[in-house]
Amino acid sequence: MLKMTKVSKIYRTDTVETHALREFSLEVQEGEFVSVTGPSGSGKTTFLNIAGLLEELTSGTYELDGRDISALSDRERSKVRNEKIGFIFQSFNLIPELNIFDNVDVPLRYRGFAAPDRRKRIENSLEMVGLASRMEHYPAQLSGGQQQRVAIARALAGEPRFLLADEPTGNLDTEMATNVLDLLDEINGNGTTIIMVTHELTLADRAKRNIFVRDGRVSDGPPEFRLAAAGGQG
Amino acid sequence: MELGPIWRSLSKNKAGFLLIALQIAVTMAIMINAVAIMQERARDMGRPSGLDEPNIFALSSTAFVPGMNMRALIDEDLELIRRTPGVIDAIATNSFPLRQGGSSRGFQTEPGTGKDDVGAAVYFTDEHAIETFGLMLVEGSNFAPNEVTWTEEGSDAWAGTVIVSRAFAEALFPDEEGSYVGKTMYVDQAKPVQITGVVETLQAPWKGWDGVERAMLVPQRRDFNFQRYVVRTEPGMRDVVMPQVEEALAQSNRNRIIQSMRTMDEVRYMAYLGDSAMIKMLAFIVTLLLVITGLGIVGLASFNVSRRTRQIGIRRALGATKTQVVRYFQVENFLVSALGIGVGAVLAVALNMLMVNAFSMAPMAWYIVPIAMVVLWSVGQAAVIGPARRASRISPAIATRSG
Ligand SMILES: Nc1ncnc2c1ncn2[C@@H]1O[C@H](COP(=O)(O)OP(=O)(O)OP(=O)(O)O)[C@@H](O)[C@H]1O
Ligand SMILES: [Mg+2]
Repeated sequence: MLKMTKVSKIYRTDTVETHALREFSLEVQEGEFVSVTGPSGSGKTTFLNIAGLLEELTSGTYELDGRDISALSDRERSKVRNEKIGFIFQSFNLIPELNIFDNVDVPLRYRGFAAPDRRKRIENSLEMVGLASRMEHYPAQLSGGQQQRVAIARALAGEPRFLLADEPTGNLDTEMATNVLDLLDEINGNGTTIIMVTHELTLADRAKRNIFVRDGRVSDGPPEFRLAAAGGQG
Repeated sequence: MELGPIWRSLSKNKAGFLLIALQIAVTMAIMINAVAIMQERARDMGRPSGLDEPNIFALSSTAFVPGMNMRALIDEDLELIRRTPGVIDAIATNSFPLRQGGSSRGFQTEPGTGKDDVGAAVYFTDEHAIETFGLMLVEGSNFAPNEVTWTEEGSDAWAGTVIVSRAFAEALFPDEEGSYVGKTMYVDQAKPVQITGVVETLQAPWKGWDGVERAMLVPQRRDFNFQRYVVRTEPGMRDVVMPQVEEALAQSNRNRIIQSMRTMDEVRYMAYLGDSAMIKMLAFIVTLLLVITGLGIVGLASFNVSRRTRQIGIRRALGATKTQVVRYFQVENFLVSALGIGVGAVLAVALNMLMVNAFSMAPMAWYIVPIAMVVLWSVGQAAVIGPARRASRISPAIATRSG
């Protein structure tokens, strides 16, 4: 379903060239739950951004659902993001001016669903994360864990095949984090492919497959190696 | 379209948007009324005087040697002018339209004191006036030469016949449906005067008078030392004839001064100088207000783009196309403008009613309001497009990179 071959990403500023990804190759099958760990600055977010079509790659090829992504226009990339990909961010990224209902509604409106369909999807997805009673609230009126569950509801309302999460539990305490992970497990159980970046190895281990990123490269190594490397980094 | 959420999000950030809406409202109210004033002035300026203006000029002759035979001099002068090649006709008159100075009288339909009267400008002149002014006689006939008399300075004698403008006849005899010719009216409360002709248009000398369309030709010549001559030339000949007439008059009699040589175009220009200046000033103010309002919208939109950088990135990440981001700001501006324009329309009408009452202005034309709406909406959309484009270039990666 996702296939990256020798993907490189170079950030250029006036004086510095940062090789965030170096010939990064990875294949993820439909229905997988993949965790991505690695030291800070190793390129995890960069990988996720490219996978989620938020950034363009410098070289290499990326196929999503058998389709070469590099050939797409900005408009088509937006459409792919909207229809196939759900995002969960570390800082929740709810829109503060909109209430919970309208927040979950954002991607559905871009999708062009009719109003009754949108309402049903919003209610169902908020139901699933246990926040159906808070639709009229604004993000600032919810706890961090609740906000992240709203973000998950927003990511899922359009039924994407592919869920990308960058440190989804990074801003949450252990109990809430476990809670969110349970939710992701459930979603994966329903067939949604998940790629989750995390610092916490206990959470990473709950995924079916673990990817370790270092210096912009993938290593599908054993946990001991990862532990040692992560510990060595900081 | 996402009207609902845009509106709800707007109402969470009221202050800035309300200020801009207010600015739009005030701009709209001022703009509409300024345009109404401009239109009224332009309409005034466009009123015909009744004269063949492009081919007419005027001058004055002041005799300074006491005891001159003025009647002979005036006849000689007019004879001389009429003989000049290119001249169609010429008259001596106390005044003429647009000159801003002259005389008027009150006329009533019955003799006696305490009766209502209707004012009209009076031009004391002769049977050449219709031809010289280029007036259109719509009823009755021109003065016969023997109808024209001389009056001396200080005399209060009145002619028995006059030729009036149609507007004057209509004002004095509002119920008359047939002919005005033969109708009798009274001047100085008692002296009967009969209408023997009606011209389509003949303005009074004062362009600001609300009776400016009421005037008449009186077949009385005055032998004062000061004389005003009006000359009509063949089309295109005016500028050639003017210096020749001036020269010939100066040569023919050295005991007087020729002055105030002016074309009717100049006279009209001077008469409406204030109005055209007013139109220019109001146009400038309206433009300035529109620019300021446009800049205000640019400023607020730019501020909002910066404030919402993150949220725009999130929207892009969630699937908004660049066009949809631009559209968001356009719709938002459309809503704010709608509020401002709605309030502005009410303000504009209220202000207009106030001005109509206070300055006896004509009420504004209804269509100015929708035109102003379209103009302000367009200004808003034009102003918001730059910031909106900038917003659409915000990278969706913002969603994962900051915070
Ligand atoms: N927009 C950018 N411009 C320049 N350099 C960047 C940019 N984004 C990331 N980088 C650099 O690319 C490298 C990889 O960054 P990335 O964010 O992918 O790391 P990460 O693994 O997600 O780190 P962390 O665990 O701290 O989130 C880093 O050296 C980072 O400084
Ligand atoms: Mg990161």
